[in-house]
Amino acid sequence: MSTLAALAATTDNPVADFGDTPWWLSLVKALLVFVFLLINTLLVIWFERRVIGRMQQRPGPNRAGPFGLLQTLADGVKLALKEDIVPKAADKIMFWAAPAIAGAMAFVSFAIIPMGGTVWMFGHKTPLQLTDTPIATLLVLAVAGVGVYGIVLAGWSSGSTYPLLGGLRSSAQVISYEIAMGLALVAVFLYAGSMSTSQIVFAQNDLWYIVPAFFSFVVYVITMVGETNRLPFDLAEGEGELTGGFHTEYSSLKFAMFFLGEYVNMFTVSALATTLFLGGPAAPPGIAAIGDGMLNGGWWGLLWFVVKLWLFMFFFVWLRGSLPRVRYDQFMRLGWKVLIPTTLVWVVMVAFIRAAELGFLGDSKVSLLGRDFPRATLFIIACIALAVLVAAWFYDNHQVKRRAELEEARAMDEEIDPFAGGHPVPPLPGQRLVEPPLALSAARPAPVTDSGSEENRG
Amino acid sequence: MTVGGAESALFWIAGPLAVAGALALLFARKAVHAAVGMATAMIVLGIFYIAQQAEFLGVIQIFVYSGAVMMLFLFVIMLIGVDSSDSLVETIRGQRWAGLLLAAGLAAITIAGIGKAAFGTPRGLAEANKDGNVSGAARLIFGDYVWAFEATSALLITAALGAMLLAHRERLTPKATQADWSRERIRSGENVAGLPAPGVYARHNAVDTPALLPDGSPAELSISRVLRARGQVGTTGALTQVTQEIEHEVGDESDEQATTRKDDDA
Amino acid sequence: MNGLTSYSYAPLLFFAAIGAGFAVFSVAAGALAGPKRYNRAKLEAYECGIQPSPHAEGGGRVPIKYYLTAMLFIIFDIESVFLYPFAVAFEQMGLFALVEMVLFILTVFVAYAYVWRRGGLEWD
Repeated sequence: MSTLAALAATTDNPVADFGDTPWWLSLVKALLVFVFLLINTLLVIWFERRVIGRMQQRPGPNRAGPFGLLQTLADGVKLALKEDIVPKAADKIMFWAAPAIAGAMAFVSFAIIPMGGTVWMFGHKTPLQLTDTPIATLLVLAVAGVGVYGIVLAGWSSGSTYPLLGGLRSSAQVISYEIAMGLALVAVFLYAGSMSTSQIVFAQNDLWYIVPAFFSFVVYVITMVGETNRLPFDLAEGEGELTGGFHTEYSSLKFAMFFLGEYVNMFTVSALATTLFLGGPAAPPGIAAIGDGMLNGGWWGLLWFVVKLWLFMFFFVWLRGSLPRVRYDQFMRLGWKVLIPTTLVWVVMVAFIRAAELGFLGDSKVSLLGRDFPRATLFIIACIALAVLVAAWFYDNHQVKRRAELEEARAMDEEIDPFAGGHPVPPLPGQRLVEPPLALSAARPAPVTDSGSEENRG
Repeated sequence: MTVGGAESALFWIAGPLAVAGALALLFARKAVHAAVGMATAMIVLGIFYIAQQAEFLGVIQIFVYSGAVMMLFLFVIMLIGVDSSDSLVETIRGQRWAGLLLAAGLAAITIAGIGKAAFGTPRGLAEANKDGNVSGAARLIFGDYVWAFEATSALLITAALGAMLLAHRERLTPKATQADWSRERIRSGENVAGLPAPGVYARHNAVDTPALLPDGSPAELSISRVLRARGQVGTTGALTQVTQEIEHEVGDESDEQATTRKDDDA
Repeated sequence: MNGLTSYSYAPLLFFAAIGAGFAVFSVAAGALAGPKRYNRAKLEAYECGIQPSPHAEGGGRVPIKYYLTAMLFIIFDIESVFLYPFAVAFEQMGLFALVEMVLFILTVFVAYAYVWRRGGLEWD
């Protein structure tokens, strides 16, 4: 903590030092990150289909190449050789521009993700990160905001009903969840005192932010699924309702761009979650201690980063394998009535906890279990706990009252015999079934207490 | 003041782009094209801010303008009509001249105001960004301009009020839920199991193809109200004939049908 | 770019250029590589087999509901824009900034509560 306090005046700026990175090395790194993303996308589509196959008790694609690994490549080639259809009613310019925007914007954000420690590369000491700036995290949100244009314009320019509805839905969905996402990040900025990704990773040396900002993490994970239009929040392209949503009219490589954009976006939001909450390229706590941190930093960071990234990808696939799509009004209610207010309250709480830690609310300390805690921190946490308890008590009371009312209403209902007409009918509103005597308990013989029968059985 | 090579290159690439976007806003016939032109101009402006080391301001420019304002704008023009083009017909007489006059007045006032502005000695970027760009902005917002900041919240309340007045319709009766509808169906005793689904045939299953009732006649109710109003209900005659042919081929038809077919053949 | 900062935006531009180049190339390549077989029905709007819905005069319209969503989005967006510098500079600013921010959030919350109460957050 003391080293951080000394740096307090400059936490805005990145800790990663790009001073020894000439421009050609940046270009090489940019190409490498681009190839990394492309290969990962090819792999994750195969991975998703195989894992979902397993979850549904079928093998999944296993023909093209070893274990079907080349399936995505084969699909890509097939898409490229398909006819590129531009509908008659389409707005030609925008119909072309939309997939290009969606594809291009998906890539930009990954530039600020720290993927490893500092390494030697072609005789220069450079961080395994393309670049970092004091506003790196905001950049991701801004680029996501521009990326929505791809979807909205695709929906509008198709000149068809389903795409228009899909585009509208998608934009309303993305902007609704972007607020909750942005607010969830504020807690992390409060702890780290910076929006630079390398600075945030550096600040997590002691403790990953998933612990002190656990609620932000939960909200972020929910919103990142909403942002990327993935199941259970894939209302923009819900095939049961809108055929394909915004990309209904797209074919060939234009469609592939939307597809690619969606998967690259998944990687971006997962990488951001890794960076902000899971210590980025830092080794997991147990392993970090081995051999004085010899498995931490440098090229090792890349390994831990990829492991964490793919854990999130598995989570995405798992969600898709287990949850059905939610209804649109339920989805919007979750965003506007649950996520936004609770996240706002959470941010204020974190601000108070931070204020207490930094000594803004008084300097007296309390010794507990051998560690010093500011008195104000304990006071604030006690207040929060009390508030939560009171809220839970009110909620519980309310539930009990409602259940009592329901019981009362039920008691007033008229009793009917379901078999009165010869075959069973369910009760109508205002009626209830006569509870039949439990057939099994009536038929079951009384428990035998006689010890002699045990011997008889032989 | 000197400008680096990279910076001037950026300027000469991005500058024309911003101007092109702004011109598209003015001259594009379709409202959506104008909106996209404006978004381009805004994003390029954000890039200019970043190039001049006002990084926070630049990214906020992209974040708020491209994200929020443009979304609002898109929704509004979609409200007016997705494909609507500018009409040059004057709806109020003399509107154009009045507009020009007011614009000229505003320009005069603005130019007069800006012309009187006095510049202090520049402090330099190094000093402005001493504690980091974001913290510098924070010190200004929460220090020197604290009243403007708090007044913003009042402005936001006004915005919410205005939006509610313009766009919200109060609901007078509670909304009927899925459960309410199903209870209503049971009570009324009509279509208790819901309306019939459209027809699903071996060779056709679009929503405009009605299902068949037991006697072979098409069920009108299985087609959506909208399609019925548009007169787009499909025909089933050809489909039933195909079904009969297939049944004949696989030898799975009732005796009655078989005899009638034999009569036809004869 | 200069002595003040050890980072720069140039790699970001490189990366964006690579991504944009790839996207534009793919979109163009798709149009060139695929076959071209004209078919009138193929170029009509796809509506799962039924005749395409006639387009309304002056284009279709969207529910005004979306206007409210967009407006609320702007309100919260601006709120979070103020929260970011507050969070970053919190350590240097102290208690006064916290009080300011709580006041600000409470005021915006009034707008939020009003919209909720009037039913502006219901979707139907």
